[in-house]
Amino acid sequence: MTDIGLIAIGAGIAVLTGAGAGLGMGIATGKAVEAVARQPEANSKINALLLLGLALTESTAIYGFVTALVMIFTMGK
Amino acid sequence: MQFSMPSVGKWIAIALSLIIGCGALYLRSRISQPEKTEEGYKAAKKKRNLLMMAGVLALWLCSGLVLGSFQLGSRTFTVEISPARMDILGYSVSSSVVVTWIVIAALSVFALFVRFFAVPRFQETPRGLQLVLETAVGAINNLTKEKYGHENEGLASYFFAIAALFLGSAIVELFGIRPPTTDLSMTFSYALVTFVLINVYGIYKKGIKGRLQSFVRPKAIIAPFKLLSDLAVPISLACRLFGNMLGGLVVVELIYFALGAFSVGIPAVLGLYFNAFHPLIQFFIFINLSLTFIGEAVEEVE
Repeated sequence: MTDIGLIAIGAGIAVLTGAGAGLGMGIATGKAVEAVARQPEANSKINALLLLGLALTESTAIYGFVTALVMIFTMGK
Repeated sequence: MQFSMPSVGKWIAIALSLIIGCGALYLRSRISQPEKTEEGYKAAKKKRNLLMMAGVLALWLCSGLVLGSFQLGSRTFTVEISPARMDILGYSVSSSVVVTWIVIAALSVFALFVRFFAVPRFQETPRGLQLVLETAVGAINNLTKEKYGHENEGLASYFFAIAALFLGSAIVELFGIRPPTTDLSMTFSYALVTFVLINVYGIYKKGIKGRLQSFVRPKAIIAPFKLLSDLAVPISLACRLFGNMLGGLVVVELIYFALGAFSVGIPAVLGLYFNAFHPLIQFFIFINLSLTFIGEAVEEVE
């Protein structure tokens, strides 16, 4: 197998972090919907918290993405 | 760019799609729109929508076929992780630095313009530009107060400046220039400023002793982990912004690459999300997280 093929496989594995992030974001959004359904007057507060939580959760996926990009763009040369 | 003569079949396809498109749009204009309460309202509306879709689709196909006969050299998909470098006065400078200088210059001119022409004319009841500015400043002030816990004009104005700079670089992207936020060194420098602010405000509010004590709370054994998570803050902030911005850039480039000559209209709609909405959300998150971390550092623990 060539080097570029191995790099491609590694990049593919790196972006698998998206699965965990997706799971986490789905759970968080579901809980937020539940919370709003239970207490509609706390809508804005829950919204702000959810946005912050989603940003932190999403960062795992972003790390995987950045790792994959760095692998593709710097290791191939 | 060179024009290559299309084959006869292609000419026929171009002419056919043009005729169908214009015909559908013409037919659409012929169908009269009845009143909402009248009998054939729904049927006429459906017909008009269908003809509109057919016309636009045919015209889009025609434009794609015409543009496809221009050869733009070999099209390959290339995205560089670091922006191009250029020589200015003998120094090798990253293009994102130059773009940032341009954005800063434009923002400074705008700010001076506002200061000398708009501010003296401000009235008691805000209208137009004054309303926009007052809303923006009020929003940043509120966010700072909410996250930081106290009124702090300096912090609010710093984050307002950062927001303006981010907004400027998002507008630059709409002109087709690579925005400076897709440069890791650029986002890392913003994140580093946040890191410095966290420590400066933490020491300013609690003193050096208090700041160091916050690492050993509640138990001394977690000090290394707290130190590590503090050091991870600038890296995570920088990588988050950089990854999101570069991701948007790559997706838009991929769309252009995949559509080829047919990239009329569709990239504009998708670009509205990837170039306008998505960056704004990310900038808001960057500012929000920075303020949250600073607020955490100055928090009083009983």
